[in-house]
Amino acid sequence: MDDSRPIFLQIAEQIENDIIAGELAEETQVPSTNEFAAFHRINPATAGKGVNLLVDAGVLYKKRGIGMFVAEGARARLIDDRRTAFAEQFVAPLLAEAAKLDITPEQLSAMITERSTR
Amino acid sequence: MTADTLHLPATPLPAAPSLGRRLGNVVRLHLANPATIVVIPLSVLAVVFVVMMAIAGMILINAGDSTTVEKVSTGFQYSGAGFYIFVYMLVVAIQAMNATFTYALGLGVTRRDYYLGSALTFVLLSLAFTVFFAVMGAIEDATNGWGLGVRMFTSVYYGDAVATRFVVVLCAFLFFFFAGTVFAAVFVRWKAMGLTLLFLVLALLGVGAAFLVTITRSWDAFWGWVNTTGYVGIALWSLLLTAVMGVAGWALLRRATPRG
Amino acid sequence: MTAVVRTRGLTREYKELTAVDDVTIELEENRIHGLLGRNGAGKTTLMSLLTGQEFATRGEIQVFGQDPVENAAVLSQVSFIRESQRYPEDFQVRHVLGTAPRFLPHWDQAFADRLVADFRLPLKRRIKKLSRGQLSAVGVVIGLAGRAPLTFFDEPYLGLDAVARQLFYDRLLEDYSENPRTIVLSTHLIDEVAQLLEHVIVIDEGRIVVDEEADALRGSATTVVGRRADVDAFVGAREVLGREGIGGLASVTVAGLSPDERRAATAAGLELAPVSLQQLVVRLTGTTDTEFEKSA
Repeated sequence: MDDSRPIFLQIAEQIENDIIAGELAEETQVPSTNEFAAFHRINPATAGKGVNLLVDAGVLYKKRGIGMFVAEGARARLIDDRRTAFAEQFVAPLLAEAAKLDITPEQLSAMITERSTR
Repeated sequence: MTADTLHLPATPLPAAPSLGRRLGNVVRLHLANPATIVVIPLSVLAVVFVVMMAIAGMILINAGDSTTVEKVSTGFQYSGAGFYIFVYMLVVAIQAMNATFTYALGLGVTRRDYYLGSALTFVLLSLAFTVFFAVMGAIEDATNGWGLGVRMFTSVYYGDAVATRFVVVLCAFLFFFFAGTVFAAVFVRWKAMGLTLLFLVLALLGVGAAFLVTITRSWDAFWGWVNTTGYVGIALWSLLLTAVMGVAGWALLRRATPRG
Repeated sequence: MTAVVRTRGLTREYKELTAVDDVTIELEENRIHGLLGRNGAGKTTLMSLLTGQEFATRGEIQVFGQDPVENAAVLSQVSFIRESQRYPEDFQVRHVLGTAPRFLPHWDQAFADRLVADFRLPLKRRIKKLSRGQLSAVGVVIGLAGRAPLTFFDEPYLGLDAVARQLFYDRLLEDYSENPRTIVLSTHLIDEVAQLLEHVIVIDEGRIVVDEEADALRGSATTVVGRRADVDAFVGAREVLGREGIGGLASVTVAGLSPDERRAATAAGLELAPVSLQQLVVRLTGTTDTEFEKSA
């Protein structure tokens, strides 16, 4: 947990990460709000807020009397969303910093290729 | 508090336990650890008792044949050796209330319930100690002073009959317990400074009263009143003072706040 | 949402001090509230007023819809464990834990037994022989196992080591999850409890300076660090919560920044650092202007 953002957002993000990484498979049950709260040592209401965020987004769904489950197609949708955000979140600052240092986009892509094949 | 400025939707609030239950809980709180309130005063009484027996024994042995148990008994009937326990009840009351007041309030006891429960505790203890005195007195009578002429529970000040003894002893216990509630309330509210001031005021009042009696040359009248009223009469008069002290204790405690 | 506690203009004056000054708050049911502030800020007096142990000079209090003062129905639902809670000194621990349940109708004995074992409380030791930490543990057991619908903990962990404090937080959270109730946690170890709190009230010199959801407070302030001129230019007319400086560097804490403002700050070569709840409270209740260069 870092201090700059609301905890419930961070909780939601962690669940998303677990789904993307395949640790929480689709149609499997996710831990309860109280389990999240106990594990992260946070207020259950805060954990609940994070979970509800994902329910509203259709990533999780509620089975009455049983608990929360990962929705079908959730992983593909999350990856799609993250890819869209990727350009804004990572590529834009990369280009900005590169421009500051007089690195051309061609040089930059060469650097990326070199790095990824190392 | 005016109802129209702060308006709340009705929150379901369970009713409080009954008054009897609440007071009973305070009584049990006082009696939870009987060491201070029962065991210590009785142990000291036991020590005094043993000392008196020893003294009586020594007198009988040293005096040889000329002193009989009856003579010892006549002398011992003016002994006030049992008196200490009454005064000790004042200490017990102060200790008990000082020890539990803050704790009880922390557990959500109202001052009123706390005071009534404490008063009930003291009345019950007075009755219990009085019964104890009556039983011991009866044994003392039956055994001619435990065989040695010791008169600890049948001191002349308590009267001759079982009933008058009971009344005098009970009134004495009540008097000192409720004097204790006043001191306790003063202590809980103003700590040692308050007690010191109270003792000063009481000492001044005592000296003032004695002075007044002296300059009006009323000592004869005073002792006359004591004689005609008798121990039982004085004991009954003390109930009036006890009641006043009971009310005063509450008046003082109802505005007391717990201090760390 | 139901408010369990409401006050309006609540004030407690002593001869030379206004300990609680015109406090108007609401505490919502079944939440964990943090009552934060420096020593002597008025935390204990406020809690004493809410539990009918102190008398208000002015203002109104309602607890469960009623005036708590001398109100047996209200007070039987309330428990207030003081920082230096006094117990009868001649009592053994078992006497204390034996009498408390009589006054706390929601007491759970199994939970109490478990807590006694957790904190390794010696049941037969006299109160006056207990260490400071053990004394605190007695209060924690009563406060938790009592399950009063409105429970106040006033610095409940004096003398408890880090392990025991974590135990307290864990048990509190576990039990609260299963048995929701309204809890007020007064503390100055803010970092330790920050994540437990749902609502935060900060009191300073008797006045409420923050009354806010914990989530809203998170990220509500940012520290901007950089060259003095750059920082000053960026901060401009913004509300400054705190300022420190050393040489040509300045570090200024300002209220919340939008994403655009953050980008602008980064572009201007400034560093942004999040402000923890504890730092925020320090900024709001402490000295706001510390110029190290003056003494250098």
